[in-house]
Amino acid sequence: MFGITKIQFFNSNLKVLSTIIQQNGMSQYPNYYIKPIYKKDSQEELIKSGEIKKLSHLPTRAALADQTSSFSNDPLANLLINYCMREGNKILARNLVEQCFENIKRLQLEKYHKTTNEEDKHQIDLDPKSILHKAIENCKPILQLTPIKRGGVRYQVPVPITDKKAQFISMKWLIAAGQEKESTVRFNLQLARELIDAANNTGRVIKKKQDLHRQCEANRAYAHYRWS
Amino acid sequence: MYSSSIRFIFKNILPLKTPVQCFSSAPLLLSPEKLQRFRTTESQCLKHKDEHLGLFYTISEEDRKRIFIYGGIPKSFDVQTKTFNETCLMIRQPSLDIINCLRNLDYSKPVVRFVLYGKKGSGKSLSLAHILHYGYQSGFLIVHIPWLGNWMRRCKEYSNSETKEGYVDLNLDAAAWLLNFKTQNSHLLSNPEAKTSIDYVWSKREITPAGSDILNLVDHGINRIKYASDTIIALCEEIKKLSNKGIFRTLVAVDGYNAFFYPNTRVYTEKKEVVHPQNVTVTQGFMSLTNFDWKNGAAVVTVDEIAIAEEDQISHLPRYLLGKEGFEHLDPFVPVHVQNYTEKELTSCLDYYRERKWVNDYPGLDEEVKFVSDSNPYKLMKVCAPL
Repeated sequence: MFGITKIQFFNSNLKVLSTIIQQNGMSQYPNYYIKPIYKKDSQEELIKSGEIKKLSHLPTRAALADQTSSFSNDPLANLLINYCMREGNKILARNLVEQCFENIKRLQLEKYHKTTNEEDKHQIDLDPKSILHKAIENCKPILQLTPIKRGGVRYQVPVPITDKKAQFISMKWLIAAGQEKESTVRFNLQLARELIDAANNTGRVIKKKQDLHRQCEANRAYAHYRWS
Repeated sequence: MYSSSIRFIFKNILPLKTPVQCFSSAPLLLSPEKLQRFRTTESQCLKHKDEHLGLFYTISEEDRKRIFIYGGIPKSFDVQTKTFNETCLMIRQPSLDIINCLRNLDYSKPVVRFVLYGKKGSGKSLSLAHILHYGYQSGFLIVHIPWLGNWMRRCKEYSNSETKEGYVDLNLDAAAWLLNFKTQNSHLLSNPEAKTSIDYVWSKREITPAGSDILNLVDHGINRIKYASDTIIALCEEIKKLSNKGIFRTLVAVDGYNAFFYPNTRVYTEKKEVVHPQNVTVTQGFMSLTNFDWKNGAAVVTVDEIAIAEEDQISHLPRYLLGKEGFEHLDPFVPVHVQNYTEKELTSCLDYYRERKWVNDYPGLDEEVKFVSDSNPYKLMKVCAPL
C-alpha cells in the first residue's frame, strides 16, 4: 500500500524532484557521489593519514569493471584498451591489448635469449607495462598545430598542449601505427612492435612526433596569432 | 568500513615453500635452493618417481626432434617452448601412474589399454607426451597419432579407396603419418629381424614380398602415396605379429581417440556424403592395434572434447565421448583422470614462469592467478601471458 503511494508520488513529482536532486549528465550517480578508491596502497595511505574517516561515510560510486585491486591492474593499460575499443566491443579490445602484451614479452624474451653478454641482458626490459609507459612518455608531443583564420588565410599555428592532451595524442598515434600494416600481420603484433620501438626512442611514431615538432619550429613566426 | 569498491581481497602472503628434492641444476639466476623446488635434472623418464611430482624436467633437443617433430606437442605449448628456449614438461600424477604401470606390466598378457580423460586444458596431451618420451627412452616401438582431429575433422585430402568398396583414403595424412612413424622408430626398424610375414600385392608390378624389411614397407607407403592408407593397415598387422613374436615391444599412443567413434566427420566421399570414421581406411589399422588380441605392447589413448564438433562438447567423460561402440571396443581399460593443478604443481609452475622471466612478480600473484584460472593448466598459461 505504502509502496504504491510512494511510486505515485515519484511519478507525479518527477519534474520537481529533478530540480532538487543534482543531476550529473547521463550518469546514474548524482554528482556528490565520490569516485571509488580501489587500489590497496592508496587505501592504506588514506588510513595512515586519517582521511579515511571523512571518506568512509560519503556516498561512493561502485567500482567499474576494469577497476580491480589487483597489482596487475594498470590505469594506463585500461585507458589504452578503451582507446582501442570500437563500438563498445570491450572484450575484443581487451583481448587485443593483452595479446599485444604477450607479444611484447615474446619479442623481448627472444632478444634476451639471443644476447650473450650478461650486461646487455639486464638492459632488456621484460615488463610489458613499463614498456607501455615508456613508449607513451616518449611519444608525447609538446606542441600542436591549430588552424587559425587571420585575414582570410588559415595559418597553422603552434600551440602548447596540456599533458593529458599530449598523452591522448601519443596513444592515438601508437594505435594508428598498429593499424597501419599489411593485412597478413595482426594488429596485436604490430602494436607490440611499435611499442617496443617507441620505448627505445626509435620507430615511426617517434618520427611522427619529431616531424610535428619540426613543423611547429618552421611555423614559429605565426605563433603570435594565438593571441592577436 | 572503507569504500564499497574493494572487489577482490587477496592475502599478500606467499605460500610456504619447502625444498622437496635434493638434485639441483642452476641454469639461470635463481639460487640453487630455490631451483630445487620446481626443477629436476633427471631427464631419464625411467627414473621418474613420486618424489619428482610437480617438478619440471627437460626434454633434450635431440629427443624432441625425434619424437615430436611432426606433432605431439600442442601448438600453444610449442610457442611457449620457443619463447622459453627449452622444452620442459612437468611430471604429473597421471603420466607417472601410467609410466609406473608400463614399467611393471606383464607383457606376456594381452595389451592393457589406458584412457586419459579430463576437462579441456587439463594437460592430457602433455601427459601423453611425457609417456611417449618414456616409451622412446625405454625402447618401445612407438605408434603415435599426434592429433586424430587433424584426420577426421581437418584432413588435407580425401579420395575413394580403390581397394576396398565404400571406404575412403586420406592419402596425404597417411603418408605424413608413415613419415612420422619412420622418424620416431628409425633406430628400431633397422633391426634385421623386422621382416614382413606375407606378400603384399599393391598392383601388378608392385609387390612387397614376404621377408622384406618393415622399413621397405614404410618407404613404399611414403613414395606411393596412393597406397599409403593400405600400407598403414598392413603395417599395423605386421607390428602386431612382430610384437607377438617378441621382436618389438610396442606403445600405441593416440591423442583424441574418440574421433574414431564420432559420426559427424569432415571427410566426404566423392559424392560429398559424410563418411563415418569407421569407413576411413586408416581407422581399421588402429582399431586392431587398440584391440586386446595381441601381447607385448600397451596402448595409451586420450579422449578429448576438442576432437569432436563444438556443438557436441557436452561432457569430458569417456563413456560419453567414446559412445557405446567405442566404450565396448576398449573395454576393459584403465581410466586415468587428468585433473587440474594441485597447490604444489601450481606453485611449481609459477616458479618456473618466474625463473624463465615470463611473469613479472608482484605480491599476491599466486593467489590471484589461482583464483582467476581455477588452477586449470591451459587457463593458467593464458592468464599469465599478459602479466
